[in-house]
Amino acid sequence: MRIGATILLLAGSLLAGCTAPTGSAAPPPAAPSGGAVITAQNVAFDRAQLVVPAGQPFKLLFENREGAPHNVTIYDEGGAQLFVGETFGGPGSRTYDVPAIPAGTHKFRCDVHPQMTGTVTAG
Amino acid sequence: MATLQMAARAHPRLGTYVTRATVVGLTLATAAIHASLGGVLFMANAVGYTTLAVAMLVPGPIGEVRWLVRLALMGFTAMTIGGWLLFGARFQLAYIDKAIETVLVAVLAFELWRTDGGPIGVARQARRLLARLGGVRIARTPR
Repeated sequence: MRIGATILLLAGSLLAGCTAPTGSAAPPPAAPSGGAVITAQNVAFDRAQLVVPAGQPFKLLFENREGAPHNVTIYDEGGAQLFVGETFGGPGSRTYDVPAIPAGTHKFRCDVHPQMTGTVTAG
Repeated sequence: MATLQMAARAHPRLGTYVTRATVVGLTLATAAIHASLGGVLFMANAVGYTTLAVAMLVPGPIGEVRWLVRLALMGFTAMTIGGWLLFGARFQLAYIDKAIETVLVAVLAFELWRTDGGPIGVARQARRLLARLGGVRIARTPR
């Protein structure tokens, strides 16, 4: 019983350590010229809408401010992937080179946490 | 696996300790990985794994139905792998975790075969457990 309680305590500490909030409440970095910026913290994106140019490649700066891995993937209305960003654990950032996407409203999400979603307006 | 089989043959009790320590270690490793992913679903999964890891160790009434804990852990792990195959994101840590879970299922299958007598042995123990539970219910029924 003592062994079980010890394991439970160790595992609890481990789980608590793994999920401790990380990062800061600093303002998001500046968007690259002609591109967009988005930040992930506490298993949530800092914005629900991205406005990007249509029909031309652009840069998307993604800053992950916590240890949990995240990425940004853009889907069209039919659910087909238009762009898949690299998944990485933070704190850290990546500048994605996103190929041209058609004009209109698309969806973005984190593939690891599908509840983290938003819309991409290309125009 | 060959190391586990050798250890089991050399000393039955040592074999039990080695396989159980391996199961608990792998279970806690995958629990920690799931907890590190953040979000309610992954946290629930981590809590499930941790609970089953503890159930693999505690003596008393749970120790008497360890075969059931092994079976539950095997099912839980298989369901987690299946869920990832269907809906999961593909990234490095996920592949590492699935490798850990696959080894865990293999070790549990080995342990189920060695300690519990395979599927037939498990079926016998399940029948015995149901009979015992049935007996308790009958004993409590007022005349």
